[in-house]
Amino acid sequence: MNALLPLLVTIIAIAVGYGWYARTVNRRVIQPDSKKATPATLYMDGVDFTPANRHVLFGYQFKSIAALGPIIGPIVAVQWGWLPALLWVVFGTLLLGWVQDYSSIMLSVREDGQTFGALSFRLISPRARTILVLFIYFYLLLLMAAFGKIVGFDLMTNPAVPLGVLLVIGIGLLAGQMTYKWKLDILLTTLITVALAFVGIWAGTLSGVKSFVQMLGGGAQSPLIFGNVTWAQFLWSLVVLIICYLGAVLPIWRWAQPINYVAFWIVFLGIIAGTLGLLIWHPSIPDSFPAFTNWDGNLTSAAAGAGVTKTFTSLGPLWPILFVTIACGAISGWHSLVSSSGTARQLENESDGLFVGAGAMFLEMFLAVLSILTAVVGIGAVQGFGKYAELIGAGKAGGVFALGLAEMMNHAGIPVAFGVSYGAVFLTLMALTIMYLVVRFMRVASAEFLGDTIPFFRNASFGSIVALVLSAFLIYTGFWARIWVLFGGANQLMASMALLLVSVWLMAKGKSYLWAFIPAIFMFVTTVAALLWTAFAVFRQVANTPNLAVNIMVGNIAAGVIAILLVLAALILVWDGIKALRRLKTGALAEAKA
Amino acid sequence: MKTFLAAMRETPLARRASKLLQAARDVLYGATVYEMVRDLRKEKAQREHLFILMVFGDLIGIPILPPYYTLRLLPYAIEGLPGWKRALLRERDITDLCDMEA
Repeated sequence: MNALLPLLVTIIAIAVGYGWYARTVNRRVIQPDSKKATPATLYMDGVDFTPANRHVLFGYQFKSIAALGPIIGPIVAVQWGWLPALLWVVFGTLLLGWVQDYSSIMLSVREDGQTFGALSFRLISPRARTILVLFIYFYLLLLMAAFGKIVGFDLMTNPAVPLGVLLVIGIGLLAGQMTYKWKLDILLTTLITVALAFVGIWAGTLSGVKSFVQMLGGGAQSPLIFGNVTWAQFLWSLVVLIICYLGAVLPIWRWAQPINYVAFWIVFLGIIAGTLGLLIWHPSIPDSFPAFTNWDGNLTSAAAGAGVTKTFTSLGPLWPILFVTIACGAISGWHSLVSSSGTARQLENESDGLFVGAGAMFLEMFLAVLSILTAVVGIGAVQGFGKYAELIGAGKAGGVFALGLAEMMNHAGIPVAFGVSYGAVFLTLMALTIMYLVVRFMRVASAEFLGDTIPFFRNASFGSIVALVLSAFLIYTGFWARIWVLFGGANQLMASMALLLVSVWLMAKGKSYLWAFIPAIFMFVTTVAALLWTAFAVFRQVANTPNLAVNIMVGNIAAGVIAILLVLAALILVWDGIKALRRLKTGALAEAKA
Repeated sequence: MKTFLAAMRETPLARRASKLLQAARDVLYGATVYEMVRDLRKEKAQREHLFILMVFGDLIGIPILPPYYTLRLLPYAIEGLPGWKRALLRERDITDLCDMEA
């Protein structure tokens, strides 16, 4: 089968999902009214509430929602076979993903631009807001651990990568200086900084540089310093945490924003080159790369025929684990937070909501399918399924993407050696741009909740350091694959709660709500099952692994406990949500009787 | 030649292509520079709000002493006052910060 067929399936899914299902829901249930003033036009303050053109907002929404999730998640999920991963990406987006993003925007637009904290306080219960914020804090902690581990343990330990990343960050700072201080033209700034970033990434691949970086990381065989953490992993994770700290405490225009700007071009050009290379290449999906491996995603038995003898740990049963492993590729709770707090306040016209919310999610589905193909053909067609299994088994999902993208870009004329480094820098930047903004949020959240009782938390540095120390604890001690599943579970549990909030709102307005409520129930059951299963698996793995270091034991137990706490918080929220639904139903009945 | 080119630009296909190009430009702007513009607007607004609070705080119940300067500045500030009052009195929630502008 040709590898372009999944892309064709994706395009058909977009035509059906966006062109028919989403439009029907939009027209029949939400019924956007172009004459109705949106919060952006009603409360226009030129800051938070600013009407923006639908195309501009589409770009903004896509950039805000697309991070590491739709890339790493689908790649890890291919261990159940590429077909289940592809099916969940497509059907998940078609039936749930766009529903959540779009309905979150419209809920906020119709409720004066209020965000989820205020809405849950008003629509569900007063305590729902507090629980939601706590939930978000710990969910973001898992995100930091999952992303931090990919970057610090996987991507940055490749000696060709750190210099490229550090230079791109430096060039980002230069971009900020050129734009804000020297007031140079943005086009000129872009051309200079993006060209320099390319040179920086290339410089990282020079053998002298690689040897030096390798020496910094303790040589070709980096020594273990504690638990199963090597010196290189410790060093580069620490560098990542320092980058996040600077991103969290420095003014946004000085650090986060210009680096994000340069990083965007690296990512954007990488996606274009990868897609172009794939179209030119159009290889067949190799027969040796299984469409379906087994129900447990057990790579040991799946890779036995590929000449791999190593034993891999299975993540768990296809349901529910695959559904949360894919994370943002199908549905993501983060999107609802961004959609309600940012996009909804800039929507110029109610009828733009579908294009912006659903459209950006369908585009993200395309990115997720492209990521699946980096594993299936980028690795599979060149190095076989065994290589994929080996990399995933070693916790190198980022490496799968970098290698796969490099093979694709190679067919667009880019050398593989540069492509691998480029792919790794691409992914590292994608993670970093989210990570330091997450630390910013965690810092503000801790100041809000603990600032009155412990005044230290009002200090930006203190709040950021606490968030980073907690993240470091999980990064240095957690099992990566388990942490990823816990992050995916928490992320999608957030999505189910967003959908529940939307359902309560739709019911309060007397509108059809099953299109949001059924996905909410499905995601809730799936994510709770996945979190509990993984927490149990983590505890079991800790108990059954002989000679496990104390720090690993403690770290993994902590990850499992966080998962259970998240489930408890979600249960309270859902309990309150169901009570709110009942209240509304009783009210509607009484109204009908009257 | 000029007339020919002008006529070509008016064809439905050319108009459509031009619209598509503009849309692509807007999407790219939205994904890149737009966030920078928003951040700058926020920074500017925060400082302006602080200034207006110092000068016209009595409008939201904060007693301000120097009425002479207030009156002198009023004609320049009057346009921004409704927006300022709304921004200052608006109830804020911590989840407002999830659009990454903490």
